[in-house]
Amino acid sequence: MQNAVRRLSRWINREGVFKLALVAPLQVTMWLILIVPTLLVIYLSFVRWEPVLGDWTRAPFAGLANYAHVMVDARVWETLGRTLIIVFFAVSLEFLLGLALALFSLNTFPGKRLFTSIILYPMMLPWVVVGFTFYLLFLDKGPVNYILIQLLGSGGAQPWFKEPPLAIGTIILADVWQWTPFMFLILYSGLGALPKEPVEAAMTLGAARWQIFRLVTLPMLRPVIVIALVIRALECFKIFDLVFIMTGGGPGTSTESLSLFIYRTGFVYGQLSYAAALAVLLLIAISLVTRIAIRPLEYREEAR
Amino acid sequence: MTRMVTESTPSPVTVAPPVPARLYVAGALRLAVAAGIALIFFLPVLWMLSISFKPPAEWLEYPPTLWPKEPLAGNYTFLFNPGNPEGAIAVMTGAAEPVVPAFANSLVVAPLATLLSVTIGFLAAYAVSRFHVGGTFMPFFTLTTRMFPPVAFAVPLLLYYSAVIPRLIPGLRLYDTRLGLILMYVAFTVAFALWMTKGFIDAVPRHIEEAAILDGASRWRVLFTVTVPLVRGGLAATTLFIFILTWTEFLFALIFTQRFAITVPVQVSHYAGAIGRFYGPQAALGILASIPVVVTGYLIQRHLVTGFTFGLVRE
Repeated sequence: MQNAVRRLSRWINREGVFKLALVAPLQVTMWLILIVPTLLVIYLSFVRWEPVLGDWTRAPFAGLANYAHVMVDARVWETLGRTLIIVFFAVSLEFLLGLALALFSLNTFPGKRLFTSIILYPMMLPWVVVGFTFYLLFLDKGPVNYILIQLLGSGGAQPWFKEPPLAIGTIILADVWQWTPFMFLILYSGLGALPKEPVEAAMTLGAARWQIFRLVTLPMLRPVIVIALVIRALECFKIFDLVFIMTGGGPGTSTESLSLFIYRTGFVYGQLSYAAALAVLLLIAISLVTRIAIRPLEYREEAR
Repeated sequence: MTRMVTESTPSPVTVAPPVPARLYVAGALRLAVAAGIALIFFLPVLWMLSISFKPPAEWLEYPPTLWPKEPLAGNYTFLFNPGNPEGAIAVMTGAAEPVVPAFANSLVVAPLATLLSVTIGFLAAYAVSRFHVGGTFMPFFTLTTRMFPPVAFAVPLLLYYSAVIPRLIPGLRLYDTRLGLILMYVAFTVAFALWMTKGFIDAVPRHIEEAAILDGASRWRVLFTVTVPLVRGGLAATTLFIFILTWTEFLFALIFTQRFAITVPVQVSHYAGAIGRFYGPQAALGILASIPVVVTGYLIQRHLVTGFTFGLVRE
């Protein structure tokens, strides 16, 4: 008996067993929750199946019909374009505002710690709460319209959730409010970590503030900027919660994001195999984009 | 140019006693700008806080007032006892659900998923950091899973949870159960846990572990008595960060729960959808739902950047 215990203890301490035990839980999780479902989604995308049609294992083979449908479905391309527009405006604004805030915070002023604490909290809030907050702000008789009327007269009020461009604008604003703090934080810490010497050297040479910023600080900050933009853009591309809470995709389908469209196709309309084809295409696209986008990140990993 | 020098070296010691007046002006100006910006960031939630203390008549009142005319806590008590509304809220009767089950679910699902995720992520991170297990594929793979829109996985997972698993393991219910949500959250946060803890493990010098091994300690012993205590702070930060992610998760909870395993974010959306203009209680619920994550966020403020960027940017 003692011998067996000793043998067991020697076995679990063997290098190979140790390494295997370290990664086994991750492998099991990945297989169960990510890889098997990925295989399932590929299968689903090639058959014709909806939950009401009964046993999914006996669904008729559909060939590329689901994929062909994606190509001709105008709603797919509309939602994709709309999502990219949201990503473009939201991430650009977040970057510019975050950079401005970061540069401003390099100065000292009383209450700076409180200031940074206050501007950080939106990124900690649940998405749904941010969505609901902005929904309240932009109601027809809400505070935003009240302020606009005070400033611009009675014509200032806008039907925010009734006009598609305005509704998309409110979604972008909510995203900007929530994630500008992220850009600020990442750029601020990036600026703080830069070496001081090049800036000082440029100053002794008599360079102007703007020149120093554009020709010295900005190039040194580039790796951080790239990471911030890539991560935020990929994250924003998944936008769902804000749209779901604020407009529900409406009026009509005019503010639907790609995620919301797939959600509706699969879980509201029950067209699971069509949603699967959309999911597969999306997974391929995101893999390619990530593969390209990860390059600057890998470079940074090596440099560190 | 002199202004730049004074700004980049602002320590009060170097400033000579007769401070130029324009420095005061600059400081006051900055303070004013800072106050304005902070107000813009603070106002949206201040408005929700205000609504959460307003009686129904004031929810959509025009012109809107920031301070409730007749402040009341009825919206909050209503959440926990919708069958017996008090005072002004009593006007709104209806099919509101109590929020206690949602909080109970979130308080079970988020912490358990977080602990599992950090444990699994930490062990794998140790293997990646010390033995380079997985090579270059693992970083790419985990990063990609994180970047995939969750809705793309929700499609097969629904089939998996409702048709495949019940056939393979009769009696194991994953749809609309806490267990089902926990497993999902582990899978989708473990990449974060791996990358965040890997950074902290990388910072522990190997020679400390090697010394313990030379002293005759086993691999497992070294891991748990040498490495874990050294990365305790990092593990705590990672845990709190993952907790924020799991507490606020909405899409999976929306799709994979129906009645029994509803979480707090889904409950927030229910108040909007089912009852329409139920702004007061919904705002109160929004405030309550935010408190745990905001508190957590401030606790790990230093590590937020590391978390959100997979440790690619560190403070």
